[in-house]
Amino acid sequence: MINAIRPFHVALLVLCAGFSASALAHNPMCECKAIDAEQIQCTGGFSDGSGAPGVTLDVIGYDETILVPGKLGEDSKLTFKKPGAEFYVLFDAGPGHVVEIDQADIQAP
Amino acid sequence: MSLFTAEKPGSALSRFWHKWRFHINVLLLLIPLGFMPKYFSEVALFRGDTGLGEREVGEVQVGPWSLRLAEFRNEAPRPDPAGYMKAFNAALCDSCRDQVKATYLRIGKPRSLRAAGVIFFGAPYRMGAMLPIPEKTKATDELWITMEGWDGSMHQASVPLSQASPATIAWLNKQGGKP
Repeated sequence: MINAIRPFHVALLVLCAGFSASALAHNPMCECKAIDAEQIQCTGGFSDGSGAPGVTLDVIGYDETILVPGKLGEDSKLTFKKPGAEFYVLFDAGPGHVVEIDQADIQAP
Repeated sequence: MSLFTAEKPGSALSRFWHKWRFHINVLLLLIPLGFMPKYFSEVALFRGDTGLGEREVGEVQVGPWSLRLAEFRNEAPRPDPAGYMKAFNAALCDSCRDQVKATYLRIGKPRSLRAAGVIFFGAPYRMGAMLPIPEKTKATDELWITMEGWDGSMHQASVPLSQASPATIAWLNKQGGKP
């Protein structure tokens, strides 16, 4: 009886060990830079090294109106035209998994 | 002619090894014992046997609700690929466990509920959040707690960072706060 269960225990242990790495924290990260005078490119991702294709990235004005509703492309990047009004970039991978970048923190080209 | 050749006298190292190998191996077994107090204190911290965290900040009133906030470790923020991070733990008050949907933490007042900061995850008795500490954080900044209820209501409160984490303030002062 005990011997019959043992392979199952071993398999369970291996599975637990194998999936434990996926429980590590992966914090959202986002970087924006001006590629020329008119355009800004933002790159999103997670601290475990994974990309963020399809994740929402909105450009929001200081008055909370959404100026550019966007989603990151397959390369986890989004390029948009610099808005005229004051703005910040919000990388939004879900509630509590956001990165905010103020326009003042975007490097000039 | 003798059948036995005289044993070559070994090197000094070899003689030392043969004489003391038993004792050296016993010492090797003792090494892990030295790490035991540290190990058990870590286990107690992770299990919550020594409280919410290494340093309790205290009870923070957030609108009709309140939570107990603690620094998980009483130390400077730790580097991470996503920037410097500081772990906080929190426990909801007895009466608000059923009412609070989400609790967020952020340095500085949030612009909106969407940008309320990092979310606390885990059971309401012991939740955890990893707060990114921007390098340009000022010593006078405040830690903002945003709580969202199941009824759609939202309440906010702030705690001076100097009160929430003196270790972070010391770290900010040491690295001379980036502009």
